[in-house]
This record gives sequence, structure tokens and C-alpha cells, in this order.
Amino acid sequence: MMQRARDAVISMQGSGRRRLPMLPSAQTMITGGVVVIIGYLALVPLFYLLWGTFFDEAGLTLGAFGRAYSDHGIGTLFSNSLRFAGGAALLSLVVGTGLAYLNVRTDVPFKALFFAASMIPLVIPGILYTIAWIFLASAEIGLLNKLVEPVIGTQPFNVFSIWGMIWVEGLHLSPIVFLLMVAAFRSMDPSLEESALMSGAGKLTVFRRITVPLVRPAVVASILIMVVRSIESFEVPALLGLQDGIYVFTSRIYYTLRSYPPDFGAAGALAITLLAIAVVGVFVSQRLGSRGKSFQTVTGKGFRPRPMALGKWRPVAGAGIMLYFLVTVIAPLTVLLYTSLLRFYATPSLAVFKTMTLNNYVEVFHMDSALRALRNSFVLGIGAATIVMLLTAVAAWIVVRSKVRGRGIVDQLAFTPLVIPGIVLGLALSFVYLRFPVPVYGTLLILLIAYITRYMPYGMRYASTSMHQISSELEESAQVCAASWWQSFRRVVVPLLTPGLVGGWIYIMVVSFRELSSSILLYSPGNEVLSILIWEQYENGQFTELAALGVLMVLALVVMVVVAYRLGAKVGLRSE
Amino acid sequence: MQIRHRLALLIAGSLALGLLVGCSNSPTATTAQETTTTAATGSGTTGTTEPAASEQTEAEKVYAQFDGTTGEARRAALTTAAEEEGELIIYTSMTSGVIDEVVSVFEDTFKIDVSVYRAGSETVLQRVIQEASANFQGNDVVETNAGEMIAVNEQGVLAPYTGEARDKVIPAGLFDGWTATRINLFVPSWNTELVKPGEEPKSWEELADPKWQGKISMELGDSDWMLALWEYWASQGKSDADIEALFRKMASNAKVVKGHTVQSELLGAGQFAVVMSNYSYIVAKAADKGAPVSYEPIVSPAFARPNGIGLMKNAAHPAAALLFTDWLLTEGQQVIADEGLTPSTLSGDPTMEGVEVLPVPIERLMAESAKWNGLYEDILKNSETVGN
Repeated sequence: MMQRARDAVISMQGSGRRRLPMLPSAQTMITGGVVVIIGYLALVPLFYLLWGTFFDEAGLTLGAFGRAYSDHGIGTLFSNSLRFAGGAALLSLVVGTGLAYLNVRTDVPFKALFFAASMIPLVIPGILYTIAWIFLASAEIGLLNKLVEPVIGTQPFNVFSIWGMIWVEGLHLSPIVFLLMVAAFRSMDPSLEESALMSGAGKLTVFRRITVPLVRPAVVASILIMVVRSIESFEVPALLGLQDGIYVFTSRIYYTLRSYPPDFGAAGALAITLLAIAVVGVFVSQRLGSRGKSFQTVTGKGFRPRPMALGKWRPVAGAGIMLYFLVTVIAPLTVLLYTSLLRFYATPSLAVFKTMTLNNYVEVFHMDSALRALRNSFVLGIGAATIVMLLTAVAAWIVVRSKVRGRGIVDQLAFTPLVIPGIVLGLALSFVYLRFPVPVYGTLLILLIAYITRYMPYGMRYASTSMHQISSELEESAQVCAASWWQSFRRVVVPLLTPGLVGGWIYIMVVSFRELSSSILLYSPGNEVLSILIWEQYENGQFTELAALGVLMVLALVVMVVVAYRLGAKVGLRSE
Repeated sequence: MQIRHRLALLIAGSLALGLLVGCSNSPTATTAQETTTTAATGSGTTGTTEPAASEQTEAEKVYAQFDGTTGEARRAALTTAAEEEGELIIYTSMTSGVIDEVVSVFEDTFKIDVSVYRAGSETVLQRVIQEASANFQGNDVVETNAGEMIAVNEQGVLAPYTGEARDKVIPAGLFDGWTATRINLFVPSWNTELVKPGEEPKSWEELADPKWQGKISMELGDSDWMLALWEYWASQGKSDADIEALFRKMASNAKVVKGHTVQSELLGAGQFAVVMSNYSYIVAKAADKGAPVSYEPIVSPAFARPNGIGLMKNAAHPAAALLFTDWLLTEGQQVIADEGLTPSTLSGDPTMEGVEVLPVPIERLMAESAKWNGLYEDILKNSETVGN
């Protein structure tokens, strides 16, 4: 890989062309264009949100804040949210990082299996994953409890608790971390770890003192996304927390949007708290990144990432991974598979097994518009993932590498859509495009714009995290060799960014299949997407059919991820 | 290099600003403003999108042509006009299983292609408001929950429906600008394996009994049900303080879940014994598939929340809209009943005999939405700890 980048540099020597002096350079046009697009995508919904929050007929007002925060229990809501978000972020960080490290940097067994398998929680719709966990670990009907109780005499699991919430949310979010960390570990020069080992440090010390500090930008990016995501998530708290009286911050948003007519001002006032958290988070990660060379491990010196031999720990790590998958992937999937074969859910018994049928799968294949929705989701997923990663690759260069004043704002802008409620994004887009001279409203294009906006924050984290690891000396040498900015960007920076770009691409591609909150407002008859069908099954109370659909989606994902991984691995930094 | 960078950012910045201002100057302001204001006052009156009464839209002229026509003559004339239009676009919050069946029977009867946009009732409302404010011809009819239908009507985008089919609808289903098509019934339901025959709840009061401690589930957003039951108890002579105490006792027995369908699923699985206020049709559907759930014998009174249909003033296919509305309130009622819903003419639904059905006071709920939502939230939240 490094060889290729260097070849590119050499081949560029002497290829710098003269430009007409009056035309803006390619660099100006491309970076300028990207800034305009990101600014436009981020500011439209933000503007809509802020306006609705701060202005009413009488002009500037803070009334929305009063309505949003007047609840006397708001303190409890905050502390519940923080405990939940902190716990889920920590769990997903530990799990995602651990798996990524073992996968990329060691000779752990079952590697092929676990890239696909660690992604499975990502594709299972949140509601299905959560309900599967109720069937597994509730005190009343949980299968795991029923299995374990005869042995240890008590029911150890209770999913309806803060721990249950953290467990389900943390596992569901861990693939984001996994993908981020895989990219980070791939681009890490193992010679630093090797030197430490040679100097007599233990493996754990190396991990703690060398490995983790080197991937700190990725760790910070993960924490940032996880915390914001868990604070704004409502699926898990609504199903698991409420039963135990654990109300969170988002339950306020739920009530403000539920009143007649929905109080978007108050919802906006609540979202602004999240915005503040996000702004601070992005700022912190920028400060960290600005420490210059400390994370740049992809430099002019060549390296071959070589997996570390686990030695006698190899079987242990292998067993650990098997156990992990048994609990977090196989168990919920088995419940879904089991449910998908029933007419209605009942705890397993001989009588129940006798009623099993494939009818739900037949129903799924007979669903009107299922094929069209699948095609639309594919088009949107691939389109959104590709465009976002292209945009954010350039944006990450501007933020991390350029010296332009105000570049940090680009980072902030690209991140803001993360805190904008999906419904507000939908409203803002329908507002603008209903008045747009070109027909965008009512076509797939408006969904594409929505998806690009929603997933830009993730793309930005993936791209800038990787960018932090690439030393500027590679570009500089390209430029010394008279390569234009565009040449060095395309032939040096982008290839080196590939692990991050591929990780982000896969993530966006997969989660865009689940996007519902803005799709549901913006789709039109004929432009249905898969998430709309899933939601309809759910609304219909067809839980068993929904489970069948979930199983099929997991199968499709496994195929897709394997293909994408193969492709990605071919162009990215290979660890093997 | 430096200067060029800065220039790039400057151009970019000003372009972004320009685009933003160009796309969303005063209209954004108005809409966002409306939303905020209406939310603050709790009433959906705006008037800004209402065209002057004297200007009849093209669609309204078509509706007017059929005013006063009845019987087979009306049906024949409407069918000809509607089939000439050839198309119909419906926005609805009916579950897909039901609307798919409704549409397929309608399409079998008439040569009209039907397109359906389906979403939750709040989303349907937002979509109609957004499109109306931009004068976009999105749909011909809208069919959704009462609260949202009232809000849609207040936007001034609905044309009144005057067909004779309206006369058969129960009085509680007749509203300004729209007409009820089906009724959601709030009833208690239970798991038949966990609640033995004879032990089912016989009255709403009974669900406040501590014997149900931890065995009941309540839904996160059922403030409409609470208001209906509140009014009923008040009419029985209970004081507000007594009523509130009853609700708090109920809530202290209960585990809270979001979503009526999830509640029904978990009820069947045995997660709880009783669901306080589910829609009867959801339970009926689960029971049809064999799940051990039931709501009969019905606890009296059941509370009815209507869903209704309205004609759009700017419909692109007004004759088809009118024909569909006629049909849904006549032949279509049987399709609705067959799908397990309660039709608004109460025809074809034998389970309702002898049951007292009281309407959910939708207008009051709309006017005092903040109050009832807030109280319901408070009762759920602050009773939970008492129970634990």
C-alpha cells in the first residue's frame, strides 16, 4: 500500500500543469464546493429548529424553554439519561474496541466469522432487538432466566432495569465503535508496540500505554457519537425503562411532540441541550487532534501491520469471542428465528413446536411493494453512503490538514445533524423542497438528501479520525514532486484514508436501511423504503412477520457485509 | 496557498448563506412561527393558509356539482366522473393490513388506481399542513384520527362532505369538515392463561385494586382514554380528587409501555396479566391468530375515539375523492368490520350489542391538551415509585 502511494508520488513528478491565472484552482473549487454543500445541508434543518424554538408571532422568545424545562422532575430525567448514556457508551466502547483490536491486531481464531457477526446487531431493527431481549431476560417470561433458574435457584436477569437498558443499547451501538476502531487499528504502525515489547513492557502495558493512546482520536469520536446517540434514543428506554419507572430526557421530547398540535418549539429547546453537548464534544476532539503529530502513525516510513501472536491466550480469546457471540448475537437471533416460525409468540413448549410454520416468510415474500422498497433502500443506502464519505473525506482534509481560519466550524456543522430530531429534519426538508423550482419533493431524491444529512456526522467522525492518523509528510512529498492538490488528494490521501472511509461507508449503508423518522414524512406512494414496511408490520401488530423480515435482513446483511469487506479489504490497508 | 484557502472558505460561506436565505426567508418564519404559537396556545387555529371563502377551488366546484344528488343516480354520475379522473391519492393512518384490503376491494369495484401514503396520525397531519402551506396538490382525501382531523380542518384545507352516506354515521362521528369512518374502542384486555374465567376485571374501578399490583400495563400516551374515563366518573358523581386518586392507584399497579401493539404482543407472551386501555381491534387480531388474549366480556363503558375522512379543497381528483368517501361510508363499512375494526355506522359489528359506548371528548382534549397530557405524564411517573 505504502509502495503504491510512493509510486503515485513519483509518477506525479513533472506532471503539474500550468493553469490560467484567473481561474480558481481545483483545490479552491472542490474544498469550497464541499463547504457550501455541508453548510447548506446542516444549516437548513438547524435554522428551522432554531427559528421554531426562539421565535413566535411576537418575535424572539424563550417560552419554548419554559415549556420544555418547567417539569419539576427534569433533574431526575437528566441524571437517568446520563447514567444510561454513559453506561451504554462505555459498554459499546469496551466491546467495540476489544473486538476490533482482537480482529485487526492479533491472530485470534474465527476472524472471518466475526466481522459479519459483529455487525448483526446493526441491521436488526431496534424494536426487534429490544423485544428479543425482553423474551430472553425478563423476570416473568425470560428464556435465559428459565434456563438458569433450575441450576442456581434464582433468576439472575432483569432486562427492565437501568442495567438492562445499558446492555441492550450498548450492544446495539457497539458496531459503530467496532468499525471506527477497526479503521484506527489498521492504520496503526505496530513497530511502536514492538519497540515497547522489546524494551520489556508486558502486553497489557503496551496495550494501555501505547496502543490506546495512539488511537485516542477514534476513542473520542466513538464516545462522542455514543453519548449523543444514547441520550437521544427512545426505543430502548421506552420499552425497558418505563416499566421500572426510569424516565429519561427523551420522554420529555415524546410528550412535547405528542400534544395537540405538537410543540416543536419545546422539542427544539430540548434538542438544543444535545446540541450544546455535541458542540463541546466536537471542540474537545478538535483540541485533541490539534496536538499534531502524536497520532500520525501512517508516515513516510513503510510499515506492515502484522498481527500479534496471542500464544497460549489464543484459545482463551477464541472461547471468549464464541461466548460473546452466543450471548449477544446467537441468542437474540435464535429468539427471532423461533418467533418468526410461530403464529404468535409463546414460550417454547412441545405444543408450541408443533404449531411451527413458514407462513410468515411466505407473507413477507407476498408483501406488496416489498421488492420495490428493497430496491429503493439499496439505491438510497449506496448513494447516501458514497456521497457522505466523498464529502466528508474532503471536509476532514479541510478540518485536519488545512490551516484555514474557521475550519473548525466545518467540523461543527457536519456534526450538528446528529442532534436534530428526524421529524424536524423531515419538516425542514419538506418545507424547502415544496417551494423548490425543480421537482425534488415527492421523489427519491428528497430521501437521499435526508439520508445524506442524517449520516454526515458519522461520516465526518470516520473520515477525520482516519485523517488524524495520516502524517502530512506524505502529501508534502507529493507536492514537492509538483503534484497538484487534487492529484495528491486523490492518489495519496484518499487511498490512505480507505480503512476509515470503508468503515463509514458500511455503517451508513447498513443503518440507512433502518432510517424511519424522516423517511416516514418524506416518502411518497411508489417510493417506499424498507424501514416503512417494517414500521407497517409493527403497527399492524404482525410481530411474527416482523421477526421473519428481521431474519431475512440479517441474512442479506451478512452477504452484503462480506462482499463489501472483501472489496474494502482489497483497496484498504491489509493486515494479513 | 493561504490566501486561496481563505478565499475558498469565504466564497463557500457566503454561498451557503445565500442559498439558505434564498430558500427559506419569510415562509420558514411563518410556518415555524405557526407551529410554535399553536403549540403554545394549545389550539390549531391559524387562518393564514385559508383561502378566502368566496374563491372556490376547482375541486370545490366539482364537489358542488354533486350536492343534493342521491341514490343510484349519484353513484352512476360520480363513477363516470371519477373513472375519467382515473386516479385517487389517499393519506391515511389506517394500519396497512386494513387499508390494503379497503383499497383492493375499491379497485375491484371501480376503474380507479389508488395510491396510498401511510404514516402515524401526527405525521399525516404534518404532511398535510406542509403541503397545504405550499399549495401543493398532494392528496385527494385524508383519513386519520379525530384529533388530527380537527387540526387539519382548522387549517381550512377541507371541503365539507354532504353526501347522504353521512346521515348513517352515529351522531358522535359527525364533525365540522369531516366524517367518522371507524371507531377505536378503548377496553381493558387480559391474558386468558393468567386471568382465569370469572376473575376478569368487571369495572374500571376494579383496576385500581392492589390485587393487580405489578400485573397491569398502561400505555405512555393514553391521555385521551384518561380524560374520557375522568368525565365518565365525574358524571357518576365522583369528585376530581377521588378520580385523581383512583388513577394514581391504577398507575401504581401498572408497568408503563410505549405502543399499543407491543403491549398486546407482550400480553400474549405473558409479560403482564392485564392491559389497561388497549384498542379492541388490536386484541381481537392477536386473539384471531390464537394468542391467549381477550377483552370480552367488555368492561362497560368502552370509550370510542373516532377516525374520520375529509375531502381536500385542492384535490386533483375530486370526483374520485367524493366517490371513495361515499363508498367507504357505505359498502366500505363492511370491509372495515371484516378487518376487525368498529365501523362508524356500527353496522356489521355484533360484539357491540348491550355495551355502553361513550365518546372520547376530542374537542376538550384538543383545547386542554397540555393540561391532560401533563397530568397523565405526572400520574404515570409519580405513581410508579409508590408501587415499587
